[in-house]
Amino acid sequence: MDEVLETAVEAGHILLESGAEIFRVEETMKRISRYYGVDEDHKEFFVLANGLFASGKTEKGHYAKVLQSRVQSARLSRVVAINQLSRQIEQGKYTLPEARRELERIRNTPEPPKLLQILASGFGSAAFCVMLGGDFQDTLVSFIAGLLLYVFVLFVANPHMSKISGNLIGGMIVTVVCLLCQKISLGHSLSHMIVGGIISLVPGLSFTNGIRDIADGDYISGAVRLLDAIIVFVSIAVGVGIVFTVYRHIWGGATL
Amino acid sequence: MTLLVHFIAAAVGTVAFALIFDVPPRYYGLCALIGGGGFLLIEILMDLGLSQTEATFIGTMFVALASRICAVWRKCPVTVFLVAGIIPLVPGSRVYWTAYYLVMQDMGRAFDNGFLAIRVAIAIVLGIVLVLEIPNRLFHREKR
Repeated sequence: MDEVLETAVEAGHILLESGAEIFRVEETMKRISRYYGVDEDHKEFFVLANGLFASGKTEKGHYAKVLQSRVQSARLSRVVAINQLSRQIEQGKYTLPEARRELERIRNTPEPPKLLQILASGFGSAAFCVMLGGDFQDTLVSFIAGLLLYVFVLFVANPHMSKISGNLIGGMIVTVVCLLCQKISLGHSLSHMIVGGIISLVPGLSFTNGIRDIADGDYISGAVRLLDAIIVFVSIAVGVGIVFTVYRHIWGGATL
Repeated sequence: MTLLVHFIAAAVGTVAFALIFDVPPRYYGLCALIGGGGFLLIEILMDLGLSQTEATFIGTMFVALASRICAVWRKCPVTVFLVAGIIPLVPGSRVYWTAYYLVMQDMGRAFDNGFLAIRVAIAIVLGIVLVLEIPNRLFHREKR
């Protein structure tokens, strides 16, 4: 029994840390424990955006576990893998030890190579610049800004900084790069370059999950995730604004 | 011609985000179609005279609906398609201009842009919520 709850909790914890909705985390934990024979009134799970509580009654006594979690970065491939695993468990394709081994494997799947992520950020920025109507030079500057930004995000901000300062400085870096390029007359439309450049900071996952959690009635987690999205958005805007303010003071009231 | 270029750009942008969110590569194609399609739809609607808020609302419904259909079809969480597909609809420029005019101390324009950004964000929220409320079995019946 302990083993079953332990497995369910492990699956829930991976889901929570990879950026799944609260509803999915709870549902998966219930499914797994139901299949392996822990019935409804012998257990209780409580999941929040930043933590997970489980308790149950077993033949040996009581089971209880509290786990903290912090979403580091979106890892949707793990959400997909566990979703599939829980389906297959219900079809009877996994014994308990096999399921645990599979969970261990899913937890250890590597994230996409850093170089690829940096390139994706560059191409993403370039693509958004095109969508906004930027010309070839604008797009090139956006591409460079997107690359540099993600080098900073992966090697400095994510491991060492809070979300507020990471996104604020990220916004500043992009703005500085774009202003410098404009100074050497590369690129024409500053707004297209900058909006394209910062796009990979946009908190898409927290925003969408926050909305979904609130729609499911998980108000606390939804509010936490939406707050996270708003803080990130405001931090980026403040970062851009700071550079503009400094620039204006140095070059007088120059219009940008 | 511009529409085609924008569609391709939106598709590329969506796939770039899918990679950053670690979506499994086998779903990239569908992500590209959903993200590109949503953005294209908004552009066409705005050309037809709809406001950015209205167009974004309809575009979001399209993205959310397409994501749900694909999720049922490919048997995977809807998040996989929804998260990346929604990014091209985010009112990034409005937020930028809000910050810009705030710094330039042009409060009128800062307010206009900020308010529009909030309205577009609410349109996205409503679009997602309404489509996700549709009961699951409707999608399963559609499949058979």
